[in-house]
Formats: sequence, C-alpha cells, structure tokens
Amino acid sequence: MNAIECKGLTKMFGRVKALDQLSCTIEENKLTGLIGRNGAGKTTLLKIIAGYLRETSGEINVFSQPPFNNLTVSANVIFVHDQMNLPTALTLEEILAAAGSFYPNWNHGLATRLFDYFSFQPLQYYHGLSKGMKSTFNMILGLSARCPLTLFDEPTTGMDTAVRKDFYRALLKDYMDHPRTILLSSHYLDEIEDLLEEILVLKEGKQLLHTTIDELQEWAAAVQGKAAFVQEWSKNKQIIFSEKVGMDQMYTVVKNDFSDKERQLAREAGIDLLPVSTSDLCVYLTSSSIGGIDDVFDKNVDDSGD
Amino acid sequence: MSLTKMSMIVVIKKQYAFKLQAYSQVFLSLIFLQMIAVLFSLGGVASMGSSDGMVEVQLSYYSADMVLVFTMLWGIISAVLITTKAYRNDDYLFITNRLTSNLSNLLFLLTASFIGGITAILSSYLLKIVVNLFVSEYFFSNPNGWPGALETLLGIFSAFLYIFLFCMLGYLAGTLVQFHKSLTALLPAAILGVLFLDVADGKAGVFADIFTFYHSESSVFLFFLKIMATAGLLFLASAGLSNRLEVRS
Repeated sequence: MNAIECKGLTKMFGRVKALDQLSCTIEENKLTGLIGRNGAGKTTLLKIIAGYLRETSGEINVFSQPPFNNLTVSANVIFVHDQMNLPTALTLEEILAAAGSFYPNWNHGLATRLFDYFSFQPLQYYHGLSKGMKSTFNMILGLSARCPLTLFDEPTTGMDTAVRKDFYRALLKDYMDHPRTILLSSHYLDEIEDLLEEILVLKEGKQLLHTTIDELQEWAAAVQGKAAFVQEWSKNKQIIFSEKVGMDQMYTVVKNDFSDKERQLAREAGIDLLPVSTSDLCVYLTSSSIGGIDDVFDKNVDDSGD
Repeated sequence: MSLTKMSMIVVIKKQYAFKLQAYSQVFLSLIFLQMIAVLFSLGGVASMGSSDGMVEVQLSYYSADMVLVFTMLWGIISAVLITTKAYRNDDYLFITNRLTSNLSNLLFLLTASFIGGITAILSSYLLKIVVNLFVSEYFFSNPNGWPGALETLLGIFSAFLYIFLFCMLGYLAGTLVQFHKSLTALLPAAILGVLFLDVADGKAGVFADIFTFYHSESSVFLFFLKIMATAGLLFLASAGLSNRLEVRS
C-alpha cells in the first residue's frame, strides 16, 4: 500500500509555482530521502502532506485521504521542521508530556532517555535553546511520537557533527525496531545515503528521479580523459555534467547505459571510467546548467572583451 | 504501523487541557490588569465636598466598574492573541484540524471569561476593604447593605456574558486579520471611523443602539439569549472563515 500518492500536484504562491504537476508515490514503511536544491519545493511538498497547505490543483492522498484539514491524517503524521514554534509558557518537560498526551504511540521512555542523553534540563524553555539544541529537541519529538508517517524537513539544521551522527543512528535504530514511513529532506546526502532506502529528487517543483539508493549509485558514471576524445565518445550520450579539468582534460558525467563495446573503446582511447558519488550526482542533476558555477565566471571573462 | 483513528471530542478535550496550560500567560495578564484597575479605582469615580465654617465634608464614590471594563478589554486582547500565528500554529504541532482548533479555543475563551467574570466582581470586595482600611476615614457601603449571594452570582454571570461577548468580538477580529495584514490597520480605523461619525452627528448612533440592545435588557434570560446568540454568530463566522486558512510560518 502507498502512504502518499500525488497526481499532477501543483502549488502556487502568488505567481510562483512551488510545485508543478508533481506526481509521485511513497510506499508504506520505507525510509525515503527528499533531495533537491533550495526552492525545489521540498518544504512545500512536506507541508501539503502534513495538511498545512492546500494544493492549488491536482490530487494528493495520504493514507488514502486528502490531508488538508483532516483529523485522521493529522493523528498519524508528525512534521518536524526548523520553524516549529513550541509554546513559550511550557518547559521542555511539559512539552514532552503534552506531546505524549496527544500521540497514541508516543514512547515516553525513549523520549526521556534521548532527553537525558542530549543533556537537556527539564525546566529549560524551548525559546532559550540554541539553534542546534532546538533541532535536537524537535528530533526527539519526531522520533518518540512514533507516527506511522514521520516527516523530517532539514532536521539537522544547526546540529554539530557528533549530534548529527547520533541522530542518524537513533533514526535508523528506531526505524528498524518500529518500521514506519519516514520522509527525510536534507542537504547532506552523503551523510544520509547509508540510511535511505529510496530517494526522491525534486527539481523546480517536479519529480526528477525516484529510485532506490542502490540504483542511484549505478545510475551514472563519469568519464575523464583528453577533451577531444571525451567529447567524441560522449556525443550520443545524455550528458549530466561536464567541466574542463586542467589544460586539455575533460570530466563528463553521463547516464550509465553504455555497452561493453563502448567500455572497450573508452579504454583504447585512454578515457577513464569512474563512479560518481550519489551526492555529487544529485548536485549535477539538480543544477540548472551543465557546466556548473564555473560557466558563470568563464562567460564573464568572454564578455569583458578587452 | 497501523493507523490510529481519533474522535473529534477526544482531540478537543486534549487540546483544551493543553491550552489551559500553554496559554497560562493570558491569566497572568488578567491578574496584572485587574490589579491596575483596582489601583485606578482607588481615586474614586466621583467626589463632592462642602464646608461650613468648622466642618468640612469630603464625599467620594468608589466603584469597581473600571475593573470590569479592563476585564472586557482583556477579553478582546486575549482572544486576538490566541488567533495570532504563534498561538494558532501551536495546535499544528500535535493533532488537530481547523474545527477542533476553533472549538477548543471557544472552550478556552469560555473558561477565561468565566474566571475573568468571577475575579472582576470579587474585586469590588477587595476595593471596599482597601478603601476602608487605607483611604477613607468613614466608610459606607452600598446603601442597601452588602449584596447578597444571589446578587453576587448574578453579577458574576452577567460579567461573564459581557466578557465572553467581547472575547468573541476579538476572536473574529483576530481571525479576519489572519487573512490579510492590511486589516490590522483597516479594522480599528473602520471602528473608530464609525465612532467619530456617530459623535459628529450629535445623535445616538449605531454604537449607542447596540449598547442599549444589550444593556437595557431587564430579563436575565433574554439578556443571556441575546449575548449567546451574538457570540454564537461571531464564532460561526470566525470558524467558517478560518476553516480554509493555511498554516504559514
């Protein structure tokens, strides 16, 4: 069964299209990464799933129900994001207790153990916490609620490396003990790719790619060698990224669909075939140009003329 | 993981319990405002004096009406406050939809008005004691003697109704402001505008008519009906308007 299904989902903010005819499905009990550049529509999608925002057009179902203004969806979803404002009148301990009174699957033992592990004080107030501590506290809420659908939007904002690692480990352990559908958006794909089972890449409000993490690792390959040879060799390929390296070398990332014969040809022409890390690949895929930031500066030099 | 179903009543109860705790600042401001009002009331609402050679008489009237007026203002402000983003979005941390959020707000405002009504009426006793002990040399209470239990209860009941009415006015105003920021300025301007027009006409205007409609009702039951019907309409308007409102942070 699918936890989330959307068809032709569009969300407009004024004249800006945050989501543009997005169609995707998220299976139940999968840990999926939501990847995309700033402004690709990740947060908007999560907010629509959580029932915060209403779609402009198209269709979305969460647990087979439209999520906006829906009590059942709200009871089964927790949305953790970095702009949560928790009640200022309550201490951290009271907030945990309040969350426990709402969510039926809430595990208070886990919440207090995590609370102690990250050295929170029960009588502290949320607004007095640092950015990283706020994120850590949000994470405790998100994990302990044990909601069938858990949404994390940039959960590691402000966390230091040690806490980030602890968080990933805690997430994985709790997910394995209590499988549920988790959507995790993050800028640090290299850190989370070991956790993820699937990955959904968004670009300009559209689904660019939805695949398993294993397939993504094989999805593309890089070729490096003399520029002329590389250009000739990759002429009929789907080029994802290309840049000049040094004087006459070229580094090009192409879709990994070449035959043994092509491999043979590459080897003879002195072209290296290299794997591409998934996080680099996602950067290349979601980039709006093929040459990257270097293009901007190269063109600048050309323009100035003299 | 299996899905959980929650009935609306259960969610409203939980939200109500949560709000009593999370919105405790509302009650702190009530205590603070009523103390200020009692302090202002110590100046007396009217006074007269006369002297005749050797004898000088200074007569002052004291009333706790100002406490009630302050409490009504507090009702408006608190109701507006809980419609602001910071409070409204609190609900979305946990389980909610727009209707349960509005209904639990209604329960909260009913409770707040009730507490406000009790303390406002009881503050008149505080005023009497303070005046008696510290301000006046001779103290005469109400010519009819201290009010009986029934009168006090009736006072609390009607104070509660007035405060609740103002809460619902504030709630609608706060909900309207959520739609567009410009209403923050337009709404008060419109109300003040109508007030000024009334004054400029020199006749009893719209506001006076509205005031008379409620205030000169002599039957407690009809008064109750009038207030509850108005408050109900105001609430329905707020709930209907905010039912499609998105959560933006």
